[in-house]
Amino acid sequence: MFSIGGVSTRIYKERLQAEGMGANDLAIKFLNQDYEELRRECVESGRLFEDPCFPAVPQSLGFKELAPNSSKTRGVKWIRPTELSENPQFIVGGATRTDICQGALGDCWLLAAIASLTLNDKLLHRVVPHGQSFTNEYAGIFHFQFWQFGEWVDIVIDDRLPVKDKELMFVHSAEGNEFWSALLEKAYAKLNGSYEALSGGSTTEGFEDFTGGVAEMYELRSAPKDLHRIIAKALERGSLLGCSIDITSAFDMEAVTFKKLVKGHAYSVTALREVNFRGNRERLIRIRNPWGQVEWTGAWSDNSSEWNGIDPSEREELNNHMEDGEFWMSFQEFKRQFSRLEICNLTPDALSDDSQHFWNTIQFNGTWRKGSTAGGCRNNPNTFWINPQYKITLLEEDDDPEDNEVACTFMVALMQKDRRRFRKQGQDMHTIGFALYEFLGSQNVHLKKDFFLRHSSCARSETFINLREVSTRLRLPPGEYLIVPSTFEPGKEADFVLRVFTEKQSETQEMDDEISFNLEDEEAVSEENIDASFKKMFAQLSGEDMEISVHELRTILNRVMTKHRDLKTDGFSLESCRCMINLMDKDGSARLGIVEFQILWNKIRKWLGVFRQFDLDKSGTMSSYEMRLAVESAGFKLNNKLHQILVARYSDGDVIDFDNFVCCLVKLEAMFKSFKELEKEGSGVAELNISEVSHFLLSK
Amino acid sequence: MFLLKKAIGGVIDVIGNIDPNQFVPSEPPPPRRPLAYAVSNESAEEQQFRKVFNQLAGDDMEVSPTELMNILNKIISKHGDLKTDGFTIESCRSMVAVMDSDSTGKLGFHEFKHLWNNIKKWQGIYKTYDRDHSGTIGADELPAAFRAAGFPLTDQLFQMIIRRYSDESGNMDFDNYIGCLVRLDAMCHAFKTLDKDNDGTIKVNVQEWLQLTMYS
Repeated sequence: MFSIGGVSTRIYKERLQAEGMGANDLAIKFLNQDYEELRRECVESGRLFEDPCFPAVPQSLGFKELAPNSSKTRGVKWIRPTELSENPQFIVGGATRTDICQGALGDCWLLAAIASLTLNDKLLHRVVPHGQSFTNEYAGIFHFQFWQFGEWVDIVIDDRLPVKDKELMFVHSAEGNEFWSALLEKAYAKLNGSYEALSGGSTTEGFEDFTGGVAEMYELRSAPKDLHRIIAKALERGSLLGCSIDITSAFDMEAVTFKKLVKGHAYSVTALREVNFRGNRERLIRIRNPWGQVEWTGAWSDNSSEWNGIDPSEREELNNHMEDGEFWMSFQEFKRQFSRLEICNLTPDALSDDSQHFWNTIQFNGTWRKGSTAGGCRNNPNTFWINPQYKITLLEEDDDPEDNEVACTFMVALMQKDRRRFRKQGQDMHTIGFALYEFLGSQNVHLKKDFFLRHSSCARSETFINLREVSTRLRLPPGEYLIVPSTFEPGKEADFVLRVFTEKQSETQEMDDEISFNLEDEEAVSEENIDASFKKMFAQLSGEDMEISVHELRTILNRVMTKHRDLKTDGFSLESCRCMINLMDKDGSARLGIVEFQILWNKIRKWLGVFRQFDLDKSGTMSSYEMRLAVESAGFKLNNKLHQILVARYSDGDVIDFDNFVCCLVKLEAMFKSFKELEKEGSGVAELNISEVSHFLLSK
Repeated sequence: MFLLKKAIGGVIDVIGNIDPNQFVPSEPPPPRRPLAYAVSNESAEEQQFRKVFNQLAGDDMEVSPTELMNILNKIISKHGDLKTDGFTIESCRSMVAVMDSDSTGKLGFHEFKHLWNNIKKWQGIYKTYDRDHSGTIGADELPAAFRAAGFPLTDQLFQMIIRRYSDESGNMDFDNYIGCLVRLDAMCHAFKTLDKDNDGTIKVNVQEWLQLTMYS
């Protein structure tokens, strides 16, 4: 459901977030479906749940290869587990890694993430809430929770699953009668619009949506020298790890290598161990294949001879002969055979209470909007500065006995929101990245163009890339730094989440201006102070009634505009003039008296000077990215959100002409003053009833 | 400053309050279903509407104020009984703003459809309450028309609306009528959204105040 009520829905959502909505234990109800409520209704009425928001119809399967009437979806039926199996179970003996076997969908990236989830009961049950079954007051309804761009979402589904030739079409368990993973996959498909929307992704994306953590990706051919330590620390912190082998052509997809590794397929890393092998220390790594079959047959595989070279008790502990998809290999072989490693670093709330190793985490929600905050990368010096800006203070160096460097390890992760959902409409990921600057200022204000012309970045994301998330591990000396997230090209609109993970304590805040209005230079105007020539002009313009109407004001202003041929404008519209009169008019006459007109006139002259000053290329219009500077010069300090609104409301394409500029400022000043009047004794809060809201929203 | 303060205070003081529950704004839209499903289950009218939308919106699948103005003016030009000098770009910017929750300055399909359905409904009321067939809503016809649209306002608010949206004879033409109702409807939804405890008042800080008032 989309919300109506415009900006108020955004305000309300921000209020809920400030109260903790979106945490795992306060998940947002997706599409406003309340699991407990719906389940109770079904139990009381004796009807099994049928989900109107993700119905059991062909369109829920997909839109291209899985489109209605395609060969892959012909003959598909939607069947409940109670009809598929005589003794269906939700979870048998707790979730295990063999509960996830891939079906016909190319979402192994997702299944590898699900498989890794089963290694950690706490993580699993953040996603799969307890208490669900096919017996205890079964109603055909289940729910799951996923992390989505900074908050947790609760998804309700019915349990009708796609079945073809009497077998589950997609994920299934090795035992055949366990259904939690198939249902989880359905919930995730619903979240993303269809099953087909899940085809093709990276394990990091699944990792993050199941944990709320931040993922990193390493190319193993150019792995950092301390990769083993990174993996060890990651496992110690309870991180999730996935790995894969690249393909060179579509034909390779899920081809099996000579030693039974599958290309283009997502594996999980589940352990590291060092063993004494024939007098030498051998580093081993344990890998899991989500297929539940097809295991590595090289050195240290289940039946390999290398196991005879280690202590029997150690062998007993480590080796497992089952064809369950889990196997060991040497660390060196791992780096040779696999192409990519993905690590999902978890937030403290995802870890056990007794854990002593975790990342300190902080998160910001931001937006890029054309003309106001979508500045593009540093290749665009005129607009780069308008991107949102964040300050991070690294306070304490790492504990690393091996390392003499005085540095702080941290990760910056920038994620764009909701793009997978737009795939059906032909839109896809933007190319995104970020840059870091050393920062020595003391003020918390939005930095301007000059700062970035005079300073080079001291670090940046490894590459600008069109992935859902770009994350980079960095080590910098203690100090203050500025982070600037951006799209590669200016003007690309998206919402994003910026997260910073630090090994040690740090402080982070958004660099943005405080909202304020300089009321002090408001000049008092009274009739006696108005000079004679102005009075004479006014008398000529206003006619007998000595008041200026909407039409007269428009005539006056457009006459003035024609004298300033350098200003490009369509002319002030009647609508704009009505707006100005209504905002300036104090006695409710719908006309301006001489005092009101003088005040307006003075403002327009002042703002004309400002406008010219910021029309840098003398085009007759102001570029929308200069609006921030112009508004500030006119006495108003606003933050990013408000600048986005002004540009969205008053710009035309990438520019703002003079009449829109004036209308914006007249209204801005009037609204600031109104707030001052409504505010309760400097509390910073105004309280309004619906008549008062109507008055202000309708009057301008 | 004294004059300003007195005037604003005076205006507010004389406004009697209204019970928000008497307002009957437009119904929220139904839950969204998978796009492919929604498309295949649309009525013929809805399919035609989507086709029009796709032509209007272009590649970005969103309607800008200029596009909105063009479509509205094309349609009302076919209704000779509606007196109007056409929707202005300023009015269309305002209509887009009050429905746009993500500050892109454009409307998506659902927002546009919702707006469209409201305009059709309010157009019917406009014709019904233009009793003298002047093509406009006169000052004496306005309260009944707005009540029929679900907005029983106080006399003071009607006076302010006439001052803002009607001409000097007190007649409101069609584009001003629609512009006013779109804002009023959005205002009702905004108020209900922010008054979750239903006590009849909302509290806002200066940023929220400016977000609400500047983007409308």
